[in-house]
Amino acid sequence: MLEIKNVTKKFGELTAVNNLSFTVEKGQVFGIAGPNGAGKSTLYNLITGLYPFEGSIKFEGKEIRGFPSHKIAKLGIARTFQIPQTFPSLTVKKSIAIGNYFGSDAEFDPAYVDEILKFVNLYDKQDEKTGQLKLLDKKMLMIAAALGTRPKILMLDEPMAGSNSKEILSLMELIKRINQDMGITIIIIEHFMKVLTELTSKLLIIETGTEICCGDPNDVTSDSRVIECYLGDGHD
Amino acid sequence: MDMDWKRNSQLLMIIFGIIGIMPLFFGSTNFIMHILIMCLIWSVVASCWDLIMGFAGIFSFGQVAFFVIGSYASAIISAKFSVPPIFAVILAGFVAGFLGVLVGLPCLKLKGAYIALVTFAVHMILEPVLKGDIGRAIGTGGSRGILTIAPMNILGYTFNSSDPVPYFYLMFFLAVASSFIILAVIKSHWGDAFLALKDSEQFATCLGVSAFKYKLIVFALTSFITGMIGGFYAHYVGMLSTRMLGIDLFVTLMVILVIGGVGKFPGAIVGSFITIALNEMLSPLGSYRPIILGAMVIVLVLLLPDGIVGLIQKIMPKKKSGKSLIA
Repeated sequence: MLEIKNVTKKFGELTAVNNLSFTVEKGQVFGIAGPNGAGKSTLYNLITGLYPFEGSIKFEGKEIRGFPSHKIAKLGIARTFQIPQTFPSLTVKKSIAIGNYFGSDAEFDPAYVDEILKFVNLYDKQDEKTGQLKLLDKKMLMIAAALGTRPKILMLDEPMAGSNSKEILSLMELIKRINQDMGITIIIIEHFMKVLTELTSKLLIIETGTEICCGDPNDVTSDSRVIECYLGDGHD
Repeated sequence: MDMDWKRNSQLLMIIFGIIGIMPLFFGSTNFIMHILIMCLIWSVVASCWDLIMGFAGIFSFGQVAFFVIGSYASAIISAKFSVPPIFAVILAGFVAGFLGVLVGLPCLKLKGAYIALVTFAVHMILEPVLKGDIGRAIGTGGSRGILTIAPMNILGYTFNSSDPVPYFYLMFFLAVASSFIILAVIKSHWGDAFLALKDSEQFATCLGVSAFKYKLIVFALTSFITGMIGGFYAHYVGMLSTRMLGIDLFVTLMVILVIGGVGKFPGAIVGSFITIALNEMLSPLGSYRPIILGAMVIVLVLLLPDGIVGLIQKIMPKKKSGKSLIA
């Protein structure tokens, strides 16, 4: 469904993403992990057209390199951000409507917006301005607005960051429902290995923009290169 | 119908209802009628500035420049090509709108203060262009300006500055039409796109909003309306010079926005009437007038950061609408 091939991104002398290649299959929950500064969010920015890059990214067999972000959204790739992004000037409902109106080729559907509001448990807060929301609700809203675009792939950037254990459980449940009930392919960047091993069917570990290993989450997390990358080479 | 739209259009109708009956009381006093016409002119120009700056979050400082471009364009088109003033005004809107898009293009890659610098540079270079060889070649009259501009003429009726009531109602019609267009834009999916791009451009574009398209739309629309109003101004006052590009008009428009409330449409309309009235009332104070106006701006920014309309909204909180705007 999504094919990343020899993708490289340099910021001057710094190589943020280095010759990275991997494939995400339809219906999969694909995990990406790595230390801070590994290039995970940069990779999202490349896939969603925010930065130019070298290499190739194909979505459903179509090359999307050079496409602007809004066109990529319309193709069916939606994302969230590590630092919650909302529209403080707009209400919760309008924020989701933005995704449905602009990000989907289908006609704007207020009933679908209501459905999404209920799906993420924000129906009672639909008229609130988004700036007033709590952190968890902001994250839910970001996911809801992305779902508003009727995406085929949803890319989540550290959705659990700053959440307590109860919130992590509810977010994990939501991600499972998005994948299973809505049939949306998920790519998730996360630091919590427990979340990744439970949710994902394939896990990619990167460090300084380079692939360390990629495969079954249980195998990957016990790989000595991954342990070394997280804990250093002096661990027991 | 969306509650916000209903509430704002009712507010506009009340404001314009009050303004519309002014000639009943002041119709015989040319001086007051002139002030009211100028209030209407600045209310539209300031509302356009509010649309691009307050709603779309684009710090454009080119608003006066587009007004001047429109006024010169209409005067030149009507004189050089014998186009009736009413059509010259519309063509002037297109000239200003086209130049607005040209200025908007380099601004797409810029943010905040850098857009202010680029657009203010347009303001700065306009005066030497209009006064210089290029200006003289296209008919600006150079430093002398344009001294005779045909008055407005519609269906054989020639408007006359010595009888300002018909001019007032023509400008009143333009202001009402412009204000409802601005309100319709703010309350449409265009307005939502402007706000979303202002709040978080990256998130908005990743949700399918084209920053390129909507930023150019706001540049084109605001410079088109501003240019048209500039064209009306040219035919109303009958003469033009580059004096309008001085700091006075720029600051007056800024005061109007601050008093009315940035991003609080129709605050700019209320702000324009208050500012122009204050300006006139303070005129006996001579050179102290700008000092007092400046001090007022500082006090208002500190005490009423959302302007008078923002204060009214706080006093009378709106009911929950529960309706989607995009419908």
